[in-house]
Amino acid sequence: MNRFSIVRLPTLEAAAARVAGGDGRVLRAGGIDLIDHMKEGLVAPDELVELHAVGGDEGRLLRGVETEGDGSLRVGALVTLAQLADASTLPAGLRALGQAAGQAATPGIRNAATVGGNLLQRPRCWYYRHVDLVCLKKGGDMCLAQTGDHRYHAILGGGPSYIVHASSLASALCALDARVQVLSPGNKARELPIEQLFVGPTVDPTREHVLQPGEILLAVHLPAPAAGQRSAYAAVQEKQSQDWPLAEASVRLRIDGGRLRDVRVGLGHVAPVPWRAREAEAVLEGQAPTAELFARAAEAATSPAKPLPGNAYKVPLVQGLLREVLHDAAGVPLPE
Amino acid sequence: MAERKETLNLGLVGQLRKVRVTLPEGEARPWDADATLTVVGTPVPRIDGHLKASGRAKYTFDVALPGMLWAAVLRSPHPAARVVSIDTSAASKRPGVKAVLAVAKPGDVLLFAGQDVAAVAAERPEQARDALAHIAVEYERRPFVVDTVGAVKPKAPLVHRAAVEERRTEGDEPGAAGGGKASGNVRPLPQSARGDAVKGLAQCDVVHEATYVTPVQTHSALETHGLVVRWDGPKAMTVWASTQGIFSVRDEMAEIFGLRAQDVRVITEFMGGGFGAKFGASAPGSRLGFIAGELSRAAKAPVKLMCDRHEEHVCTGNRPDSRQAVKIGAKAGKLHAIDVEAYGTAGVGTGAGVGRNAIGIYTRCPNVRVRAHDVFTHGGPGTAMRAPGHPQGAFAIELAIDELGAKLGVDPLQLRLASDEHPVRLEQFRKGAERFGWAELRTRSAALRQRGARVRRGVGVAASIWGDFGRANAAVATVSVLRDGTIELANGVQDIGGGIVTVLAQIGAEVFGRPLSTVRVRFGDSAHGPSVGSGGSQTTSSVTPAVRNACEKARAALAQLAAKQLRCAVEEVRWGEEGVARGGGGSITFTQLCKKIDGEAIVATATRPETYGHEPMAFPGGKQYQIAGVQFAEVEVDTWTGLVRATRVLAVHDCGRVMNPLTLRSQVNGGVILGTSYALMEERVLDPDLGRMLNANLESYKIAGARDVPEIEVMLTEVHPGANNTGAVGIGEPATIPTAAAIACAVHDALGTAVRSLPITPAKVLAALGKIPGPPAAGDASPASASPKGGTP
Repeated sequence: MNRFSIVRLPTLEAAAARVAGGDGRVLRAGGIDLIDHMKEGLVAPDELVELHAVGGDEGRLLRGVETEGDGSLRVGALVTLAQLADASTLPAGLRALGQAAGQAATPGIRNAATVGGNLLQRPRCWYYRHVDLVCLKKGGDMCLAQTGDHRYHAILGGGPSYIVHASSLASALCALDARVQVLSPGNKARELPIEQLFVGPTVDPTREHVLQPGEILLAVHLPAPAAGQRSAYAAVQEKQSQDWPLAEASVRLRIDGGRLRDVRVGLGHVAPVPWRAREAEAVLEGQAPTAELFARAAEAATSPAKPLPGNAYKVPLVQGLLREVLHDAAGVPLPE
Repeated sequence: MAERKETLNLGLVGQLRKVRVTLPEGEARPWDADATLTVVGTPVPRIDGHLKASGRAKYTFDVALPGMLWAAVLRSPHPAARVVSIDTSAASKRPGVKAVLAVAKPGDVLLFAGQDVAAVAAERPEQARDALAHIAVEYERRPFVVDTVGAVKPKAPLVHRAAVEERRTEGDEPGAAGGGKASGNVRPLPQSARGDAVKGLAQCDVVHEATYVTPVQTHSALETHGLVVRWDGPKAMTVWASTQGIFSVRDEMAEIFGLRAQDVRVITEFMGGGFGAKFGASAPGSRLGFIAGELSRAAKAPVKLMCDRHEEHVCTGNRPDSRQAVKIGAKAGKLHAIDVEAYGTAGVGTGAGVGRNAIGIYTRCPNVRVRAHDVFTHGGPGTAMRAPGHPQGAFAIELAIDELGAKLGVDPLQLRLASDEHPVRLEQFRKGAERFGWAELRTRSAALRQRGARVRRGVGVAASIWGDFGRANAAVATVSVLRDGTIELANGVQDIGGGIVTVLAQIGAEVFGRPLSTVRVRFGDSAHGPSVGSGGSQTTSSVTPAVRNACEKARAALAQLAAKQLRCAVEEVRWGEEGVARGGGGSITFTQLCKKIDGEAIVATATRPETYGHEPMAFPGGKQYQIAGVQFAEVEVDTWTGLVRATRVLAVHDCGRVMNPLTLRSQVNGGVILGTSYALMEERVLDPDLGRMLNANLESYKIAGARDVPEIEVMLTEVHPGANNTGAVGIGEPATIPTAAAIACAVHDALGTAVRSLPITPAKVLAALGKIPGPPAAGDASPASASPKGGTP
């Protein structure tokens, strides 16, 4: 790791201007993925501009979880995963987000890792992270995982890059129909649906999100939970203490007159972007919740899957996981 | 005092008997079952525990000397290449750089990605790493092969053109070594056999045949390999090393630099793990001692060279993989023949055997043959890793026994009881099964299977075998009784983490009848006298008897002094509470007595003689006393996601006399956790097309964390072996041998189908359950298919 300076500026405008004003300057929030990149020799910035130094009202908004007049919830980009995982932070209908935050990484990392950093982090692909290897994501001409060892790679939406998106919050936020607020140069804020934050590899395999240099993610905005809204999240990991998921599933729904309504399903670590399983939603919407229905929905979720030769196991795995999460969200007891 | 005979009460507690043992001259009477000990055998907390927990313990990584430089090593990025040219001139001009060393020369052929090419010493570690980027090396790349199956093929690139020198360390199991002449990349290891396995198999009614696959495991000690070298003159040096063999570091440094061994001092005050990979001044795949010593000489300053995590994975050793074709058969319901043909890779190194499990444990099986082979590949060298070969061998043979049992319709525990004849292990199987609830749990597994439950549970059992390799005359202990009453024990042994220092203090406190707080142990320094490496489960059994002999000699001298003070014959002196001496109607406290010492101290040195006896006398499976162990495991399997959790392990072990139940349990816990990790998640992944390791970190090289650890219960079957004067034998290796095998057997019990490839990941479980869409995997049920190029053959 090379020597670098830490720059603390009190306003977002100043921080954004500083970063835009020269090469080798990057924003730092929790610094989890950034420091990983620096230690692995993938980036060597000269200057880390500290978002934590932003003060005043801006700072409060970045660090706050606030319920707005319409019942919607605004989660600042600097809110930590540990805060989100604290059961008292979120209303019951948004439980999936708290579960996703609580599952990620380790207690130590969750205390430092932020919502913004989690959404904007780079993939964990072992070809991408290997300093000596030049893959598609690093400007090379092919995805090394496609013909290499891709056990942890995409089964949905892959090609020409087969990474999976690393964010655990993202699949939950997709299911919860969140929007993100972004500060653009000139101090202009814009808001976009969470799914539009991410860039698939057919658009640009070298990046995972749409933010332009100088743009700063400010907050995540969650719509007010509908009456009776339930949500659930779960992941399968090879290792239970600190591991990246093999797959994640998040579900939001409510039950009205014995029927499932407003169903949204998000899958994680199965695709280069957080994956909205619309096929599963279609199977579930308006139906009575039963174990058989959930099994059919899980199959539908993976109907577009095109696994690589070495990761076909993720198809039944994410099906099994989604079934378990559907049971949890709908309150239908799991079979023995 | 000449050789003498003593009658001792020996054996497995509950089956003790009186045995006449011949003791060599000067040997203390061994502690047998009748010995009443007050400190040894009690749960004394580690005497250095507070230093470790508070961060005050200083490891090699923490050593900081005035003027010390930091070294970094440029490593080959190619799995096979010839060095065409190497130019270090630009690097030597970089900021802070004080010395540059070309380790490889033009014309050298490099055989794995990670091999030494050049090195730099600089004032700051980041300066050293920066300078590496300015070393210009031209390579001519060569064809390579990194997977075991590929390397066996006739047209595979040849790894070694000349015969390979076997590298053995104190971490290797003593006994059969060497190997036959290599053909292509395949080198046969010594065959072990009894009876006729081929004929035996032909006589069987039921035969099971399958191939069992294990991955390459890396040692991944928390403290990486490394050392600090300081020249103390042209012909002398001091070395601080993260090592499990201080004297092996000393000897290698002396040899490399042409020094006298006694002029090389090696210090290892604390160390952060070794697991078999830290013997000698070199790491198995990197000449660390040479590099640090040369850089230090050139720069005229102390040099520190510590590997980073990436280096630790690629060039400091590993447990070789294995692919074991097992044929196992029964005749009239009894195990009748076992034939194992194994291929494994230790990369460019040797030592891919599969242990003595198949031949040494189920000794009632009359026909056994084990043929193992080293397969050379362009990967970092393997080396001894906690019970070399055994966890691999245990996995294959134990799971094969379970699969045979299923074909026979016989409970696998019963099959084992009928095939084993080690008296201690038979007792462990029986007692363990009762404690574990084996019969009820097997019934529960069957019921869950029958109902097609989503979450299954299963149980398995497996055994370990390991010899008592306690070494004679290797450790020389010194005890000094000082005038202030302090008892100082000195020996150059390093504490790998097992707690030997605490145990030595207990020996001193026991012999002198003094409080532990008055005993001081000097260790971790070659200046404190010869000792053994921490390998082969032999530290306690090699060092404690020497320390006890030294203590007994010093106490005899104290008795002389006491007799003089009490004006009685030395035979009349009796030792009481807190070391008080009584005789001639008077008494003198230990402190008062020590004040009467003529000069600074009473000093005695002693060593440990050859192992002189063993009880039980019959220990099938090996030439030495065979330490017995069995472990029972319980797993939970989610059949929807394929996730396996190890929920419970009962570890039943013999380790001779228990010196300290706390440190012993820690060792067993560590062994079980290592085995659980090996069973469920650890795997080195090399890309076959690139020849590079993909998971050279602790993120995607997965090691069990707190939530992955099963509930561990330790059950000790204490044996008084009469092998040496403290009765200690080893536990380090046995504790990890059966764990992965027992877990694999438990998964078989849960699913009714075996996963024949470690680690048992969700991918492999889902494959075994037939849930993976697409064309079925070729070959056996073990889904190496889950990772098409995962490096498993």
